[in-house]
Amino acid sequence: MSGTLESFVGKPVLIVSCDGRCFSGTLKGFDQLINLILVDTHERIFSSSGMEQINLGLKIIRGDNVALIGLIDEAIEQEIDYSKFSKLEPIKEVIH
Amino acid sequence: MYELIKHSAWKFKSILKSKHFSLISIKMLPLSLLKTAQSHPMLVELKNGETYNGHLVSCDTWMNINLREVICTSKDGDKFWRMNECYIRGSTIKYLRIPDEVIDLVKEDIQAKSKNRNQQQQQQNRNTNNQQNNRNFGGKNRQNQNRNRNNPNNK
Repeated sequence: MSGTLESFVGKPVLIVSCDGRCFSGTLKGFDQLINLILVDTHERIFSSSGMEQINLGLKIIRGDNVALIGLIDEAIEQEIDYSKFSKLEPIKEVIH
Repeated sequence: MYELIKHSAWKFKSILKSKHFSLISIKMLPLSLLKTAQSHPMLVELKNGETYNGHLVSCDTWMNINLREVICTSKDGDKFWRMNECYIRGSTIKYLRIPDEVIDLVKEDIQAKSKNRNQQQQQQNRNTNNQQNNRNFGGKNRQNQNRNRNNPNNK
């Protein structure tokens, strides 16, 4: 199962947490509980006025709180100009 | 042909032993990073939105953590509490923020550990070799032991 996550190590990833927050950073490590190590983390805050990035540095995210881990394609990522979008909706939190 | 195989096997072995390979094969676990972060300042956010700023004293395999000189901030960031020490149950944690330099310390820790392990293994190998040597020359020793056992003066 976690063999697929192994291939993400050392690459830029996007984490969506259960409370609906987005973090981008480089995945440095993980364990069986999907606790994650992220370096050079940025929180992406989406609001009606566009996207804002806040630098958070080194982070350990507890597995309980992880909803999604996505691999970022840097070529595509660089093409996206977030400032062009005037209205970006924040992601809703997970409902248990 | 045989020489070629022998040479490639030797090369593979030397790659396995080399420093670069150990650097590649380092597996960093979140809990070992947390352990390395002991005595460093950190920020812990709980699932209820409260944040705790303090120095890490200790942690365990359930991510339960012990903090010193703590400042607790309410979810909305409008209320603050100061306390000398607190203990946080791991399951209530959402995430931890750790100083950037700790990641370099983990690499050093892991390298030091693997070095120790190699040394221990070498020591063990040396011991087993010695045992084998003793076994090879065991006939004489055993005779000595027998002589000692038979000697009533040794009791």
